[in-house]
Amino acid sequence: MASKAGQVKNLSRRSFLKFVGGTAGLVGISLNLTGCGDPATADEAIGGNGWMPTQYNAPGNWPTSVRGRVPIDPENPAIVRDDQKCILCGQCIEVCERIQSVFGNYELPIKKEFVCVNCGQCIQWCPSGAISERDDVNKVFKALADPNVTVVVQTAPATRIGLGEEFGMPVGTNVQGKQVAALRKLGFDVVFDTNFTADLTIMEEGTELVKRVTGELHHPIPQMTSCCPGWVKFVEYFYPELIPNLSSAKSPQQMEGALIKTYFAEKKEVDPKKIFSVSIMPCTAKKFECQRPEMNSASKELNDSNVSPDVDVVLTTRELARMIKRAGIDFASLPEEEYDKLMGTGTGAGVIFGTTGGVMEAAVRSAYFLITGQQPPAALWNLTPVRGMQGVKEAAVNIPGVGDVKVAVISGLANARKVMDQMKAGNAPWAFMEIMACPGGCEYGGGQPRASSPPSDEDRNRRAASLYNIDAKSKLRNSHDNPEIKQIYADFLTAPMSEKAEELLHTHYVSRADDFIPKKSEENKLF
Amino acid sequence: MAKGVLVDIPKCIGCESCSVACKLWNELEWDEQEKCKTAADRAKEPNNGLWPEEWTSINRFDLEKDGESVARYVKAQCMHCEDPACVSSCFSKAFQKLPEGPVIYDQSLCVGCRYCMMACPFDILRYEWKKAIPGVRKCQMCATRVANNQETACTSVCPTGAITFGDREELLAEAKKRIKEHGYVDRVFGEKEAGGTSWLYISDTPFEQMRFRTDVTTKPLPSYTEGYMKATPFVGVGWAAILAGLYVYNNKGKEPLD
Ligand code: SF4
Ligand code: SF4
Ligand code: SF4
Ligand code: SF4
Repeated sequence: MASKAGQVKNLSRRSFLKFVGGTAGLVGISLNLTGCGDPATADEAIGGNGWMPTQYNAPGNWPTSVRGRVPIDPENPAIVRDDQKCILCGQCIEVCERIQSVFGNYELPIKKEFVCVNCGQCIQWCPSGAISERDDVNKVFKALADPNVTVVVQTAPATRIGLGEEFGMPVGTNVQGKQVAALRKLGFDVVFDTNFTADLTIMEEGTELVKRVTGELHHPIPQMTSCCPGWVKFVEYFYPELIPNLSSAKSPQQMEGALIKTYFAEKKEVDPKKIFSVSIMPCTAKKFECQRPEMNSASKELNDSNVSPDVDVVLTTRELARMIKRAGIDFASLPEEEYDKLMGTGTGAGVIFGTTGGVMEAAVRSAYFLITGQQPPAALWNLTPVRGMQGVKEAAVNIPGVGDVKVAVISGLANARKVMDQMKAGNAPWAFMEIMACPGGCEYGGGQPRASSPPSDEDRNRRAASLYNIDAKSKLRNSHDNPEIKQIYADFLTAPMSEKAEELLHTHYVSRADDFIPKKSEENKLF
Repeated sequence: MAKGVLVDIPKCIGCESCSVACKLWNELEWDEQEKCKTAADRAKEPNNGLWPEEWTSINRFDLEKDGESVARYVKAQCMHCEDPACVSSCFSKAFQKLPEGPVIYDQSLCVGCRYCMMACPFDILRYEWKKAIPGVRKCQMCATRVANNQETACTSVCPTGAITFGDREELLAEAKKRIKEHGYVDRVFGEKEAGGTSWLYISDTPFEQMRFRTDVTTKPLPSYTEGYMKATPFVGVGWAAILAGLYVYNNKGKEPLD
C-alpha cells in the first residue's frame, strides 16, 4: 500500500477511486463496461471499509492553518506576489488590517481599485517571501549601460543603516560610506544624499508652518507632514477632508529628483533629457510616489515634455543589495567614500528623518531658529518625548515669544486612523504632527532588509539608535546650518516658499474618495 | 443533506486565495505561463482560465453600473450539476454524482473518449493533452473534505465570505434573502440552470456581462445527452473498446495509474 501522502497524491492527481478501493483501474473498467460496477459512495470513500480516515490525509503541502490573504492588483506599482510561494497564512491581512487599518476598511463591492497605500509592510510580515517589491533593477542596469545617459542616484536616510544587514552585518550597522562606494562601483555617475533634501524639506515645511501659525497662509492647523507617500495616500483615501492639513512640501525624494533635473543640470551643464534619476529608498510606496502625475516638475519648469519624471526609478534597499550581489562586488571590503558635492551634504537633523519622531525633532530645531532667530538650545538636540517606538507620542516645546507648542508623532496607520478620527471630532490641540505609515518609521519600511525574525521593536530600536548615533556625531545638527542649503537658496531658489521653490518643491493632493466606499461602521472590520 | 457553495459576486475582492487553496489541497502543479496571467487576462480567454492544473480561476470583468465603471471578480470552477451531463454521457462511469453534492471523476475508469467534454453545458472539463496517460480534469468539490464534514478548501480561506459552503437548500434561501436585501439581480444562477447545480451565484451586475451561460436550458441535461448517446451506441462502444485496449497497452508493466 502506498504511503499516506502517496495515496492523497493519487487521489487528487489521478484517481478518486484508487484511493477508495485501491483496485487496479482495469477491473473497474471491465466491470463498468458491462454495467455491473458499483460506483463508490462518499462514505466508502472516506474512512470506511478499513481505509485510513481522511482527516489524517491532508496533502503534504496543505498548511496547518489557513486564512486567506490581501488582494494585490497586478498593476500595483510597488508590490507583487508570487502565488506559488503563498501559504495563505493571513499574516498580510493581519498587518494590513490591524496595523495599517487598510484591508477591510472599505465596503464591498470594491469600486475601482484595491485599496492599498503601497507601504509594503505585508512584505515584512509575509513568512514565505511571497510578497515582494516590484523589481526595477533591470531598468537601472540598462540606464547604467547607456553611455549617453548621466545616471544620478540619491540614497534615503534609512538605507545606510539597513543595507549592511543584507551582507550579514549586525542590525543597524551604518554603512553610509560603503554604500556610496558600491554605487560608484556599479557605475552611477553622481551620488547624492537625500539627507540634503530632508534638510530642505525642513526649511520649506518649517516656513510653511510658521506662516500657518501667523495666519499669513490660510491653511488649517495642525499642519501634518507629507514626506511619507503611504501616509499621504492614506489621507487621500480615508480623510480627504483633512488634505488641507497636509503640508504642501514634497517629500525629500521628490525634491531631490526635481532639483537633479533643474539645479544640478544647470550647474553642471548636463542635458536634463539625458539624466536618469534613481533613488534608493527603504520604502515601496516611493515607487508609487515617483509615478504620481504631479511629480513631473522639472519637465514643467523647463517646459520640455521630453524630460522624464523627476525620479525615474525607485529601488528599495533590498534591490540595491541584489544589484551589488549580481555585480559580484565584495561589499564588506569596500572603502568608505563621500557623497558628491552640491546635493550630497546632510545634517544630523536630516538623517533622523529615517525614524519615527525624527522629522519632528529636526523641524523643532529649525522652527526654533526660524521664529527666534537664535540657535536652538542643546535640549532640542535630544527631544526624548518624540523618540522611541510608541505609536502615538506627544510633546510640548517651549519657544520664546510663542510659548508651548504642542506636537504629536504617530507611526503605523491604525494609530494614525485613531488620531484622525479624534481630529475630525475637533480634538486636535497640536500645531504640528509627524505621521509615518510604517511602525517605527522608514527604518523599518517596506523596502528594508527582511530580518530573519518577524518585525520587532527590538530591531526597530537598534536601527533607530544607529540613526540617532549618526546625528549625535554630526558636526552640523540643524537643517538651517547646512552649507549646501544656504548655497541653493542663494544661487537658485532665493528663499523658502519663493515662486521657484513653490514650483519645484511643493505639490498638491487628490481625493481618492471616489475610488472606493469607506467602511461605514467601526465594528465588524473583517467584512 | 446535499451541500453546495454560494458565490456572492459583489463580495469578492479578487485576492485569489481560493485558487491558491485549490492548488495546495489538490496538489496541482504550477505553470509559469498561467501563473503570470491576471484575472482580467483570464476573463478574455475562451476557457476562463480553467486548465488541467487550474481547477478554479478568478476572472475580472470591467463593467458599467449606474453610469460608473466597476470591476467584478467571478470565480469559475465546475458547477456540480444536480443531474450532471458528464455523468450520463460517460458510459464507463468515470463520473459520478455523490449524494453530498460533488460530481467526481475517476481516471482509472476513464477510457478517454471525451464525450463528457462535449456534454458539459458549462464547458468546464479539460483534457490533459500533453500527458502520456491523459485524463479529464476538473474541480472535485473537495469530495474527501466534504464527506468528512469539512468545507471545501477554497471556501475555507476566503477572507470576505464571498464564497460560503453549506447545505444547498439553506444557501438557496440565503441567496434569495441577499438578493432582496442588496437589490441584486433577481436570479440565483444555478437554482434551475442545467436542472440545478450545487454551486449557486448571485450578483448585482447582469450575469450575461460576466460570461455566464445564461442561455443554458433549465431542463436537466441528461435527457438530451442520453438521446444523443442512443443515436450512436455502436460508435460509443466501439470507441470504448479501442481506447480500453490502448489503455492496457500503454500501461503494460506499470503500477496501475501511477
Ligand atoms: S503573508 Fe504571504 S504567505 Fe501569508 S497569506 Fe499573505 S502572501 Fe500568502
Ligand atoms: S502594501 Fe501596505 S496597504 Fe498595501 S496590501 Fe501591503 S500592507 Fe496593505
Ligand atoms: S471545491 Fe475544491 S476542488 Fe473545487 S475549486 Fe474549490 S478547492 Fe478546488
Ligand atoms: S478567496 Fe474569496 S474574495 Fe478572494 S478571490 Fe476567492 S472568492 Fe474572491
